[in-house]
Amino acid sequence: MYDRTFPENAVTAQDIKIEAKGVNVHYGDTHAIKDVSVDIQDKTVTAFIGPSGCGKSTFLRCFNRMNDTIDSARVTGDIRIDGEDIYDKRVDPVQLRAKVGMVFQKPNPFPKSIYDNVAYGPKIHGLAHTRADLDDIVEKALRRGAIWDEVKDRLQAPGTGLSGGQQQRLCIARAIATEPEVLLMDEPCSALDPIATGQVEELIDELRRDYSVVIVTHSMQQAARVSQKTAFFHLGNLVEYGDTDEIFTNPQDPKTESYITGRIG
Amino acid sequence: MPFYWTLATILGLAALGFFLGRHRAVASVGGERRKLHSLRKYYGINVAMKTLTPALGLLVVWLIAQPVIVEWRVSDLVAGTDVADTRVQTLVMVDVRRVANGLDTAVAAGVLSEADAASLTADSGTIRDTLGDAGVALGSDVSAPVLAAAQRYRTLSARADLTRTVAVLAVALLGLGWSLRETDGDFRARNVVEQGVRGLLIGAACIAILTTLGIVLSLVFNTIEFFRIYPASEFFFSTTWSPSFGGGSQLGILPLLWGTMYISLIALAVAVPIGLLAAIYLSEYASKRVRSVAKPALEILAGIPTIVYGLFALLTVGPMLMKVFGDGGLGWMQAGTAVMTAGLVMGIMLIPFVSSLSDDIINAVPQAMRDGSYGLGATQSETIRHVIIPAALPGIVGAILLAASRAIGETMIVVLGAGAAARISGNPFEAMTTVTAKIVSQLTGDADFSSPEALVAFALGMTLFVLTLGLNVLALYIVRRFREQYE
Repeated sequence: MYDRTFPENAVTAQDIKIEAKGVNVHYGDTHAIKDVSVDIQDKTVTAFIGPSGCGKSTFLRCFNRMNDTIDSARVTGDIRIDGEDIYDKRVDPVQLRAKVGMVFQKPNPFPKSIYDNVAYGPKIHGLAHTRADLDDIVEKALRRGAIWDEVKDRLQAPGTGLSGGQQQRLCIARAIATEPEVLLMDEPCSALDPIATGQVEELIDELRRDYSVVIVTHSMQQAARVSQKTAFFHLGNLVEYGDTDEIFTNPQDPKTESYITGRIG
Repeated sequence: MPFYWTLATILGLAALGFFLGRHRAVASVGGERRKLHSLRKYYGINVAMKTLTPALGLLVVWLIAQPVIVEWRVSDLVAGTDVADTRVQTLVMVDVRRVANGLDTAVAAGVLSEADAASLTADSGTIRDTLGDAGVALGSDVSAPVLAAAQRYRTLSARADLTRTVAVLAVALLGLGWSLRETDGDFRARNVVEQGVRGLLIGAACIAILTTLGIVLSLVFNTIEFFRIYPASEFFFSTTWSPSFGGGSQLGILPLLWGTMYISLIALAVAVPIGLLAAIYLSEYASKRVRSVAKPALEILAGIPTIVYGLFALLTVGPMLMKVFGDGGLGWMQAGTAVMTAGLVMGIMLIPFVSSLSDDIINAVPQAMRDGSYGLGATQSETIRHVIIPAALPGIVGAILLAASRAIGETMIVVLGAGAAARISGNPFEAMTTVTAKIVSQLTGDADFSSPEALVAFALGMTLFVLTLGLNVLALYIVRRFREQYE
């Protein structure tokens, strides 16, 4: 961390967790994200909506530099978390990803036991010094992931043996276990049935108390249900960004209106 | 008509059938092709297929059966003379065939007339010279019964050849006629051709399976034969291997098995770490460009014939090891051919095998696993150690087992690199030998094929077969279980 806080915007800096300015992403010759600027607030659920291929997932993956793992991807622009430029040379992307957790579209538990799945992050980052510490972290994470009661009797069972919804909550618990500040979710419910979706959505609402959550979703109902802020992307552009209620009841841009009423998409 | 002409004729008939069938189909609907059930060509293929298949089938069966039947009909002529048992009779039959072929050649060369060949008698004593003039060399003078048998062999064969030609052509014509008759616009030629394709594929699969079965059965029968003349307990539990072709051999498999295991173990100790690490580099770290060059380059190693590896062991690795461990160096090694030499070279041979299979298996681990790990802030090597390798482990174990079964079956490297001494010893710088190398040396001598010294090769082969089959089955079982996890 290095000190770059200016006294005049110290107040807003507390509210704004992620600050993105003029972000462009290229995949080889494809221009996937075109000059997008967005301020994401702390302790808020922000939803990215838009038709398939509009770049919302790509943009999400800029926040924890997951695009670095793709050879052809090139990210330019300025993204700051808590005022710190995450694309600065001094930032280690590996450390960053511990601070910015991510949950993926398809539940992807490791082929290990439930316990080891959750303990994976804390072990790597040395968050626990004793076995009891680790047990404690795992239990806390599973409780926060709203799955503790279902798995407490079979922590040594393989994580891949759980149902889809349970797997996804396990993955959320796994992400929480490294004590991140921001939680990124890339269509976390698209592989789940309605009941599991309901449980995960409830959990997301819970998580808002401690984290800044950014969720990419295909379902406008989901965005309306869980988020406070919504950003609408179209063909790599950020079309509109504002309070969720505003966007859904009184969209400013005709494209946003067409999308949420189902005319494009 | 000679055989090739028969074949050419039925092929010609089939080609003719193709065009006739096509034409007839179109004609049957008055030239309006859209009224045909199938495309025009299917009618042609149907006719060609029905002309060719039964005729070819008959030809093949006939070719296999004819010599057997002819020999059986001839055998009573030579029976009772010098026929002691079936084995000798086979030898006499070879003579009969050779004389018969000689007469054929002589007639073809114009040295003998057809009538002379049939009326020739053994008394004239000139058969050998006459045939010699025609360029047929006979080892000894021809005895009267053999000559008579050869003459009957010729007559019977000639008659059978003629009958065969007639029968095959008749079947081909019948097929042609019948299939042309059924050809009309409503005939579902397309479906029939589909059946034909199916039959072709089943045939190919059957040939492959039956051949395997034949090989296994021949192994089994010869092994049983061996155990009839040599005690099985001696074979499996004796620690001495000293075949002597004069009799009184000791044929214990244990020294050979020990050599096999020892060399394979060293080979795996070389191949598994190097191959696995290379696979991890290629699949996880290498850029696309490096990968596109390095992977094929590594796989070239797999294309090198094992005899070349053997030469490498004999001429390069052996002397190199001698420099370090031999008399001039540490003094552990007496000669360049040793377990270590063969093991190292075999290990090099197995590297591409292990790396290529492991690479495929590591690539099959879903990207989601990697993303999940990176997303939690793991580095690349942490991801590989904690997520990728555990996920791919069953597959990697399978790959190693497959490599092991190749190491066990490897021959040439051992023959050239490991020496020929069958012994049980812990020193890897001593010469030892393996099951495969001994199979080669048991069968490449002048040994009588009914002696235990030669038959032991089959028992060795059978043991090896059971061993590698077991390893392969185990490997495939493990690999398959791994696949189910992600599909």
